[in-house]
Amino acid sequence: MKSYLLLLTGACLLGAAPTQGKMLTTISTYTTQADGSALLVSLENIAKNANKRLVYDKEILIGKKAASYDKNHSLPRMLEELLRGTGIAYQIKGDIILLHASTENPAPKVETRSQSQQQAVLRGIVRDELTRQPVSEATIAVVAKNRSIKAGVDGNFKLDLPAAESWIIRVSFMGYKTKDITVSRSSLSQKLEIDLAQDLFGLDEVVITGQGLDINKRRLSTNIASIGGDELAKVPATRFDQLLQSKLPNAQIRLTGGQSGATSIIRARGVVSAFMNSTPVIYVDGVRMDNLNTASAIGGGSAQGAGVSALADIPIDNIERVEYVNGGAATTLYGSDAANGVIQIFTKKGGADRTSVSAEATLGAERATTDFLHFQRTKELLFEPGLFQRYNVAVNGNSGKVGYSVTGAYLNSSGVQLFKQNQNKRFDLRTGFKAELHEKVSYESSFSFVNNSFKRTRNGNQGGYTGLWYAESGASAVTGPTPRFNPRIDDLSEEEFEKMKMFVHTAERLQDNEIVVNRFQTGQTFQYKPVHNINIKAVGGIDYRVVRNQTIQTNEYLTHTTGNLTTDRGSINNGERKFWGLTLELNGQHRAEIGDFSAVTTVGGQLFRNEDKQVAYNGTNVRDGARTIREAIATSSDNFVDEVVNYGVYAQTNLGWKNKLFLDLGLRGDGNSAFGKDIGVQYYPKVGFSYIPSSESWWSDNLPFLPSAKLRGNYGVAGNFPPAFLNLRTVSFAGYLGSQAAMFGMPGVDLRPEKTTTFEAGLDLGFWKDRITLSAGLYHAVTNDALFSVPAAPSTGEALALRNVGTILNRGLEFSTQIVAIQKENTSLRFNLAVNTLYNKVLSSNGAAPFNLAGFSERTIQTVVQEGYPIGFIRGAYGEFGEDGVLESTTPLQNLGTTIPDLFGSMGVNFQWKSLNLFANADYQQGAYANNWDSQFRYNYGAGDEGIPEGEINSEFKRTRWLQFTNMFVEKTDYIKIRTIGASYTLPQQMIRSFAKSMVVSGTVMNPFNFATSSFDPEATISGSAQGQGRATTGGISYATYSAPRQYLISVKMSF
Amino acid sequence: MKLSFNPLYLLASASILLSSCELFEVENPYVTEDRFIDGQQSLPTWLNGVRRQTSLTVGTVVEFTELVSDNYFNNYTQSSKVFDNPEINHFDRDVTNIQANIQKLLEMSEFGLTKFTFSDSPADQQIRAELLFSKAYAHILGAELYVGLPTTVLGEVKSPVELRTLAIALLNEAATLYSTAADKDACTLLIARCHYGLGNMTEATNFANQIVATPLLLRQVKYGTQNGPSNNFQSAIFSNTTNWFAPLPRLDFLDPKYFHQTSNIFDDEKPIAIAKAEEAYLILAEAQAVQNNLTAVKQTLKDLLSNTVSKRPVTQLNDKTDTRNGGNRTDYPITAVQVKFDAQSPAMSGFVLDRANGTIPAYSVSGTHITNTEIDAIQTQDEALYLIYLLRQEIFIAEGRRMTDLGIRFPVSEREQLNNRNVSEQHIKAIIPDFIPKNRGLDDFTYDRANATVTMAYDMNKVLVQHKASPYVMPFIK
Repeated sequence: MKSYLLLLTGACLLGAAPTQGKMLTTISTYTTQADGSALLVSLENIAKNANKRLVYDKEILIGKKAASYDKNHSLPRMLEELLRGTGIAYQIKGDIILLHASTENPAPKVETRSQSQQQAVLRGIVRDELTRQPVSEATIAVVAKNRSIKAGVDGNFKLDLPAAESWIIRVSFMGYKTKDITVSRSSLSQKLEIDLAQDLFGLDEVVITGQGLDINKRRLSTNIASIGGDELAKVPATRFDQLLQSKLPNAQIRLTGGQSGATSIIRARGVVSAFMNSTPVIYVDGVRMDNLNTASAIGGGSAQGAGVSALADIPIDNIERVEYVNGGAATTLYGSDAANGVIQIFTKKGGADRTSVSAEATLGAERATTDFLHFQRTKELLFEPGLFQRYNVAVNGNSGKVGYSVTGAYLNSSGVQLFKQNQNKRFDLRTGFKAELHEKVSYESSFSFVNNSFKRTRNGNQGGYTGLWYAESGASAVTGPTPRFNPRIDDLSEEEFEKMKMFVHTAERLQDNEIVVNRFQTGQTFQYKPVHNINIKAVGGIDYRVVRNQTIQTNEYLTHTTGNLTTDRGSINNGERKFWGLTLELNGQHRAEIGDFSAVTTVGGQLFRNEDKQVAYNGTNVRDGARTIREAIATSSDNFVDEVVNYGVYAQTNLGWKNKLFLDLGLRGDGNSAFGKDIGVQYYPKVGFSYIPSSESWWSDNLPFLPSAKLRGNYGVAGNFPPAFLNLRTVSFAGYLGSQAAMFGMPGVDLRPEKTTTFEAGLDLGFWKDRITLSAGLYHAVTNDALFSVPAAPSTGEALALRNVGTILNRGLEFSTQIVAIQKENTSLRFNLAVNTLYNKVLSSNGAAPFNLAGFSERTIQTVVQEGYPIGFIRGAYGEFGEDGVLESTTPLQNLGTTIPDLFGSMGVNFQWKSLNLFANADYQQGAYANNWDSQFRYNYGAGDEGIPEGEINSEFKRTRWLQFTNMFVEKTDYIKIRTIGASYTLPQQMIRSFAKSMVVSGTVMNPFNFATSSFDPEATISGSAQGQGRATTGGISYATYSAPRQYLISVKMSF
Repeated sequence: MKLSFNPLYLLASASILLSSCELFEVENPYVTEDRFIDGQQSLPTWLNGVRRQTSLTVGTVVEFTELVSDNYFNNYTQSSKVFDNPEINHFDRDVTNIQANIQKLLEMSEFGLTKFTFSDSPADQQIRAELLFSKAYAHILGAELYVGLPTTVLGEVKSPVELRTLAIALLNEAATLYSTAADKDACTLLIARCHYGLGNMTEATNFANQIVATPLLLRQVKYGTQNGPSNNFQSAIFSNTTNWFAPLPRLDFLDPKYFHQTSNIFDDEKPIAIAKAEEAYLILAEAQAVQNNLTAVKQTLKDLLSNTVSKRPVTQLNDKTDTRNGGNRTDYPITAVQVKFDAQSPAMSGFVLDRANGTIPAYSVSGTHITNTEIDAIQTQDEALYLIYLLRQEIFIAEGRRMTDLGIRFPVSEREQLNNRNVSEQHIKAIIPDFIPKNRGLDDFTYDRANATVTMAYDMNKVLVQHKASPYVMPFIK
């Protein structure tokens, strides 16, 4: 692998060599605004007509425009008219017209010192072409240089220009067509008015993900979703994945529980792996983040019955843009970990010329989502109203060559569980800087620190008392105070219910579980543009995340919940996980144009080094009140280490013809430390095309209502590496009565990465001035050598081991559309809708036995991977009842339904009237099933009949056959969930006067409405219970899991 | 700011640095097999691993077979929810787990015997003997609990007869290598047990007679210390705050066999017997009963009580916190009530203890309510057999033996079947004799609170005697 880096070094050095070859290279074709005719031309005309000769210093004429003059006037009058305002004076000496700089009439408002070396400043304003509203935060950049600035809240900007006579200024903002403007020194005198046209089709939007460096979407064979920071800022989400919920057209994001730090399920193109979690790889400013979305190997929140997601504490402030690719060829450049797609977050690193300070306060009420509670009284037993508050201050600015962006935020959500047992406090600090170190070198840096601490009540499958299990699953019939309660709690008398409430409230109050996350992240980027068509970027960064998870069980709690007097079982369990991830990346891009042909070539190398170190330190027989294990009579500890280095080199080229037909070729070679030489270099190729038929004249002649169209298709490979050293752990060590004992470890198996090969094709169309855009695509992805947890035959004496034995198919259609129903100066109305289909199946397991992803034992309920079925289907006993309502037959291990929806998507509406903005968004799924384990327990405990025929209940078997007809407890989980409904109003300037520059008041309701076919929350399906750290899960079992609460929030944002 | 150097060279040199630095180096935190075997003290360390596995295997066998039998039932949702019925399927994870534990013990013993070099030193020979003993014990468990098991990786399924024959050969080899009499006696007792299972009355009697000379012979697997192995069955019946297993009320007085009296559970985890002299007496008595020599039966059983059972430890234990709480039965008697072994039997006292009322006697090796009075009352072969099987049940409670006595056998697991072409359809069906009541009948009882009497649904020892001709029970009767 080292040789690759040396190769890369060579490539860099070659790149540094001068490129004045014979090839004519230009940056691209600029859409230049017409200049006024040059002054010199007019002067020469006048001199010629007057038969005189011009004598002048060239310098004073450069960039000057001619004013209008009347040809019928006299020579002196014509010259006076022509030279008015140019700062040039004249003298007529014989047949010579002598031109010189005027002393008394310098060019007004141009802050130049009259020579090209002098400081030049461009002032201007950026506005929406149609609405005339300022486009704040639009980026105004000097092309081929490293200098840029953002427009302020009022759209105004001031940009210091590097020394030159003229400049090409590029103005861009997401959702608008990028505009290039040539500005000459003479025109600096006037304020530049830039009107940006909305870009509904996005063909020339510049993206980075999947390409290493900037490229136009036009050239790409894949669909890259990008979301602007202003769109994200509308939603007062508390975590990053919640922020993206129903925003990504071709991905589904489901939080698997309503408690703070809950894991989520993110998936797009199905489930490509039965081994690795479907969470995409996440980058912040080019630096790879910890994306663990399951419980960790030890102590990672498993004590609370569900994992702690690393996505919950990714910084969410000051995001400029998010890009997402959901798989296929675009992920090839991310190699061995990218089969689930890539999310890139870019943060702000600078603002307008004048420092702007904005402050935002969000306050509101939190209420438990009771839609899915079985018993009416559960709400009273377990929930209380909560309060949400969040404060955020951001300072953005740009001082000459340095841009800066600093933000701090504090969040406090008291949660809706009793005694603030799910309170979440979070403190965020982020800084972003960019600087022009040299006219060819720029530097960007970002730092962020997050401190997040939250409480958690017990949930899910923890054994012993858990609030929801006790109330909703009917466990009050079998545990807690004696005599036991009637588990049908709505039928309890007031007196009995009061007793139960006292028991439950004490049990809830006595729980003491806390999770604290400290996360530090930094990204450092250098960009070097040695010549205008070469761009070299070096990125280095770190994500350091420390999670501490503490569970304290007091004797008082144990005595109270078990009913047995306990005096010596108090315990403190701590789990700590430290993740340290290093990212290093170096790449270079070369752009070339030869006649009708263009080529964008990128070569780069990446290195990721991840160190995951975990410890558990536990104390037992702890006196109530002690909070450290120093006070424990007995202590124990555990330790887990995982170090892995993944490195790769990639090269890709995007060839274009006439800016309408493009061919995309790429190859990545990956090495990984996990198995040393055994694994060798892994290659990931890609090839794709993109064609813009709307550029053809025959298209525009015949299809005028279809101004934009793009046809695309590609083939690409991405992969997943197995865990480090897994196949070398052939001996394991354990204790035997205090002595060392050696036993069989993992069997030595030849392992290699699983690889997902995707073919995709798509068509993007814009109808009626792009008022309706439609993107349609289909993909067919096959994962070969899929890593399956193959249970060994008992006679081998071996443990279950990962083996490359599976083949998994995912295929589907992806549609997304945006409709601009109204687009007027003061009013706009937009709708967006995404529809995705999905077909998932394990094509082959090479004869390996089925294995489970989650669930309990074979005889109860599991989500299983088995040849011929979708990944993670629900497997349990299928029972049929006779006419008398008594169970007639039962067949174990049956497919009771898939947990993967075959249809999913999102939708949204956005209405703008002057300064008022109303919006709502939702997402939905169809075709998936889940087991209602709470209901099955209710039946077992007699807390409900749950639709089971009376014949069975009254039979001699009573309720003992509760596991023999699990099919009766499996429900469809189709749903539409409205995630956000909100309104924001920008106060008119006259109302706020000089108090602030702008003031926005908004109100949002989070999770307002749920429509579901299931009687339980179709999202809350304990996904944290994957079979190990980072392993695959599909949810599918609803069991004692809290739903996300409703929030009613009001916020005020002021900019100064 | 001016740069006096070309930054590209800086980047280039950075990547040169990268290519040579330690960023690529990662250390394997795990010990590999080669490194281990060639390392110091590898053989004794492996033996410790085999001992640990023996403890784990026995622990697993006890946990699940006690549920299958009428000894204990699961009063909670942890552990098997269907073995109590009893419902035993070849795809059941617990069936697989028990088989895997037995075969892991076998394979680990085999690995020790074949992958390591043994010197002629007495120490090495003792290790070899213990590995042979462990391998033999794995064979015995396979024979007693399964319809048959492979003895090699994906090998042919050996019948219980073949498994016992192989075990006898291994035990003979171990006995010649062992240096102490106690070790040799343990081999002898297990050989007697194999012959008992084979129905070889003469051989079984001969070997059992050798053990009578050492009436306190006891071979146990051990548990404890923080890193284990831990006695899960002890957790299930005593040490955990929720005791999720409950005994059949007529066996209540024998519970708990395993308990802790220290503040740290792991400081006091009771061992489980795998061979004890009691078995020799019981084999002898059964042979004598089958031969209709009731006088000899009475003497053997009296000797069993006086020479062995009465000399086993009894601890006065505080068990006041045991409320028999659980989900499946909420009507477990927790005060001293009368017990009827079945509806036809007389009500007797002393079987269900009032634990709240002071300490209770706990028998960590052997206990029984049978006295010489009951022994003297034997008048028929059936009465003798009834008493012998009742004694076996009480003496071997919580040792995983009752399921075999009831004639129940596990099938070869589905996971083996899917990988091993030697597994046929007949191997994947459990043996549950017709006389075994279904629907949790084995553990069922009714509690008449008014008359303070608890009545078992079935007296399984009575049922066994009624079906003594069944090929699955009472091996001496063929």
